[in-house]
Amino acid sequence: MPIIIDKIDYTYEIGTGFEKHAIRNLSCVIKDGEFIGLIGHTGSGKSTLIQHLNGLVKATKGTIYYNGQDIYDKDYNMNILRSKVGLVFQYPEHQLFETDIFKDVCFGPKNLGLSRKDVELRAFEALRLVGLDENLYYQSPFDLSGGQKRRVAIAGVLAMKPEVLILDEPTAGLDPKGRDEILNCVKKLHDEMGITVLLVSHSMEDVANYVSRIMVMNDGVLTYDGTPREVFAHYKELENIGLSAPQVTYIMQDLKQAGLDVDTTAITIEEAKNSILKALGKI
Amino acid sequence: MGIIKARDVTFEYIQRDEEGNVEGIITAVDNISLDIQKGDFIAILGHNGSGKSTFAKHINALLTPTEGTLWVDGMDTCDEDKVLNVRQTAGMVFQNPDNQIVCTLVDEEVGFGPENIGVPTKDIWTRVEDSLKAVGMYQYRNASPNKLSGGQKQRVAIAGIVAMKPKCIILDEPTAMLDPLGRQDILKVITELNKKEGVTIVLITHYMEEVIHADKVFVMDKGKVVMEGKPRDIFSQVEQLKKLRLDVPQVTELAYELRKSGLDIPLGILTREELIKALAGGVQHAYHY
Repeated sequence: MPIIIDKIDYTYEIGTGFEKHAIRNLSCVIKDGEFIGLIGHTGSGKSTLIQHLNGLVKATKGTIYYNGQDIYDKDYNMNILRSKVGLVFQYPEHQLFETDIFKDVCFGPKNLGLSRKDVELRAFEALRLVGLDENLYYQSPFDLSGGQKRRVAIAGVLAMKPEVLILDEPTAGLDPKGRDEILNCVKKLHDEMGITVLLVSHSMEDVANYVSRIMVMNDGVLTYDGTPREVFAHYKELENIGLSAPQVTYIMQDLKQAGLDVDTTAITIEEAKNSILKALGKI
Repeated sequence: MGIIKARDVTFEYIQRDEEGNVEGIITAVDNISLDIQKGDFIAILGHNGSGKSTFAKHINALLTPTEGTLWVDGMDTCDEDKVLNVRQTAGMVFQNPDNQIVCTLVDEEVGFGPENIGVPTKDIWTRVEDSLKAVGMYQYRNASPNKLSGGQKQRVAIAGIVAMKPKCIILDEPTAMLDPLGRQDILKVITELNKKEGVTIVLITHYMEEVIHADKVFVMDKGKVVMEGKPRDIFSQVEQLKKLRLDVPQVTELAYELRKSGLDIPLGILTREELIKALAGGVQHAYHY
C-alpha cells in the first residue's frame, strides 16, 4: 500500500518573526517496493519531509495517507505507522546505548510488547540481514568501526519489521568501502525483502548507482521527480540549487563537445564505459 | 625543518572493561615519521579507524605521543609550556560545525578565538572582517549561525580558525555533512588560504576528488602510513587503494576501466581534461570511419 502525500505545508514558528516555510504545497505518491533517492541542498526541507512520513512532525496544512488511511485522523493509531515506517537518522550510531549489540537491537521490538522469544528471533533476523559477523553479537557496540555501528543501528530499525525504510544520509563520514557496504545492504533489503526504500543523500554518484527514482527538493518545494537519467539531464538547473550531476555525466558532456558521439545521459561508470567504447568502435 | 615533523610517533590507549580491568592495548598510531613543509597542501586518506583523526589530534596537541616526538614549527608538543603556542600555530576544523560553534552571532563566533589569545580589541575586529571576507561570509556577519546552511556554518568555523592566524590548519572531514555546492565552497576556501596566504593545509577526507590537487597524499592503515606520494602516483594504484577500503575519483576509475578494456590510456588520470586529451587520439580515429 502506498504513501500518498497530499498538498502538505510545514511552517516553523507560525505567526512570529521567525516564520519559515520548510515545505510548500508538496504532493507525491510513494509506491510499494520503490527505491527512491531524495536529494536537495542542506536546508532544502528533506529531513523535515521524512519526519512527516512517520508522524514525528505534523503538517501545518494538507494530509498524508498510509495504507489508504489518513494519518491525521483522530482515531488513527500512530504507533502502527511508526512501526511500519522505519526512520534511520543521520549518524544513527549515536543512538546505540546498550551494553551489547544484541540487546541494542532487541530494544525496538521489546517495546512493541512481543514475547521474549519473538523479540530475540527478530533481532537475530535483523542482524543477519545487515550482514554483521555472528562473533560480534554479544560485544559492546562501542567497540565497532563506524560502518559496523551504523549497520547495528539499521538492524535496530529492521527488527521493527518496517514496510518502508527511510535513511537520512546513511553514508556520511564513512570510508568508501563502508559506504558501499551500507548501500549494498540496503539494496539487498530492497531486492530480497521488497522493502520500500527512501534514501536521503548528498552523493549524486551514490544516488545514480542505486535508486530507480529521484526526488529533488529546493526551498521546500519538490522541484524534480523522475528517473535518475531524467533528473540528471537537468544538471545545469541542479547546479543552481546547490546540487550537481555525477562526475561521469560531466565527462560525457565534455567528450561530446570534443566531437565523440557518446551518450550524455550516462550516469554510472559502467554506462559511460560502454558508451565510450561504442563511440570509438571497440564494441 | 618542516612545519610539522613527526619522528617514530606512537599513540596507545588502554581498553578497560566495565570493572576497570585492562582488556587490551590499542595502538592507534603506530610509529609514524613524516615531514610536512611550510605552505604545502597535504591530504590524509584512510578507512574509518585507520588512525587519521588520532594522528591529526597530535598536530595541535589535543593528544601527545605515547612514544616518539612531534614538532610543530619547532615546538615539541609534549612541552606543556608550549601547548598554547602549538594550538595557535595549528588550528583544527572538525566534521560537524555545530560542535565547534558557540556564539549567537557570526562575528562574535569568529572573534572568540582571537579574544581568547589576548588580541587587542581593535585588531580583533580587523581580523574578524578579514577572515569572514576570506571565506566569503562577510555579508552574514550579523546573522545567527543556526540560521545558516551546513556549508555556511562550516565556512564560519573555518573563519574562526583563520582569525587566530595559524600557520597551519588541519581539517578533519570538513565536508562530510555538506551538499555538493557546500563541498565545492569549502574546497575553494581552503585552496585559496593555501595559495594566497601560504597557510599549510592538512586535509582529512573520504572524498577522493578533493585531494587531486594536493601537493602530497598520505594513506594510513592500522595506524601506519602505508602509501605516500603525489596524487597521481597514489591514484594510479587502483587495486591497492580498494584493498585499503578506499576508492579513486570517478574520472580515474572510468579511465582505469577503459584501459582494462584495451584502450591506450595512461594510468593515474585525475581530471576530465586529462581523460579527454587521452581519448582525443581515439576521437580523430572515430572521425575517419
